[in-house]
Amino acid sequence: MTSSPAPAKRSKSPPVPHQTILSKVFHWVNIVSLLLMITSGLQIYNANPVFGGRGGWRFPPLVTLGGWLAGGRHWHFAAMWFFALNLLWYGLYILVSRRWKRRFASEADLKVLQKGSNPKRKAYAWHRVLYTAVIPILLLAIFTGLGMYKPAQFHWIVDLFGSWQALRVIHFISVPTVMLFSIVHSFMALRVGGLRLVNSMFW
Amino acid sequence: MELPSVSDRFLSRRRLLQLSGLSGLGLVLGGCASTLYDDVVFKTFEPINQSVEELLLNPQKLIPNFPVSAIEPEALLINSFQGTPKIDPQAYLLTVNGDVNHSFTLSLAELQKMPSTSMVIRHVCVEGWAAIVQWGGVPLRDLIALARPKEGAKYVYFKSADGYYESWDLVSSMHPQTLMVYQKNGQPLSPENGAPLRLASPIKLGYKQSKWVTEITLTKQLYPKKGYWEDLGYEWFGGL
Repeated sequence: MTSSPAPAKRSKSPPVPHQTILSKVFHWVNIVSLLLMITSGLQIYNANPVFGGRGGWRFPPLVTLGGWLAGGRHWHFAAMWFFALNLLWYGLYILVSRRWKRRFASEADLKVLQKGSNPKRKAYAWHRVLYTAVIPILLLAIFTGLGMYKPAQFHWIVDLFGSWQALRVIHFISVPTVMLFSIVHSFMALRVGGLRLVNSMFW
Repeated sequence: MELPSVSDRFLSRRRLLQLSGLSGLGLVLGGCASTLYDDVVFKTFEPINQSVEELLLNPQKLIPNFPVSAIEPEALLINSFQGTPKIDPQAYLLTVNGDVNHSFTLSLAELQKMPSTSMVIRHVCVEGWAAIVQWGGVPLRDLIALARPKEGAKYVYFKSADGYYESWDLVSSMHPQTLMVYQKNGQPLSPENGAPLRLASPIKLGYKQSKWVTEITLTKQLYPKKGYWEDLGYEWFGGL
């Protein structure tokens, strides 16, 4: 039997959470560009509501960006570059730095959720699973958006979703999903690490 | 060439400007500022987006046709900027002119004698809806070939009987599925849908596909007046 090293001495307060500057930049650009994408997207929605067509319910001007359809499109097709390229470089960054192994949901988190008994560790696992799961949702929004933006050149994307209406619905669903995520994600972050964790992600 | 003036549409333009001022940016920015930022955003990013669109456009690639059973007759909504003009199909004439070696005029009967093409494609409106439609008519590139464009001709202007006007890049105009159509869903084209002759293509947004076309003019340059909706703020390329 080998002797195990003595457990590290625990200080009374946990270490101050630290985020790399690149993670903070990603987080900021993601929030701002998503806000622009959603508000301009709702403006485009209003030109012909996904649900109900010309007779459908429309979003109030308070939450729409661009003033009218053309303005909404201009914002949407400008902000899309920031939104998509931000995800792209961040994806490369976590791949190269191998952060995806340490900073995102792993098998260990799933095990904790199944068998764990420590509520704090469980909450932390949920938090990690949640912010990992939102990434494919953001990528799906780009994918469906590309299908609607260039449906002739990327006709196979439209075909993949069955119909034009299905494509529109799935693209639109990313709005309530992202909004719900933002709320739950904020509360989870507060619960897991308090204001110290939240602040570490922003400043 | 002569293009219709926008000044007689002053009211609708003013209404649009009022709308854009009133609704504004809501949460992020307020009121009049929105139009200002909108302009900056558009002027900065539209050239980038247009280059990407031109890059994506494969001039010879055919967009796959849908089966006839996929046609959605109810989905094609009617849009026009001021009603449906009254046109006598017997007296109707299409003129092709501009920077060409051979200007000509054709009657509807003469157009219908030319070799025709049929396609079942998705018509996509800038508003967000789409409809699968069958269109039948003469490929625009056949008409352009008859006119023999002069060297340097790069744009095509379309003038409509109701005062609507549009302009396209020559590459998109020469796409094999860009047609001047007189038939829709197996029937003669109806006046609301653009009879006697309209543009139809799977590679451009609906507002680029002029109805009631009476004049096709090739030009070497793009004039300040690019199209009815473009002059109010829509993107010019409008590629799909």
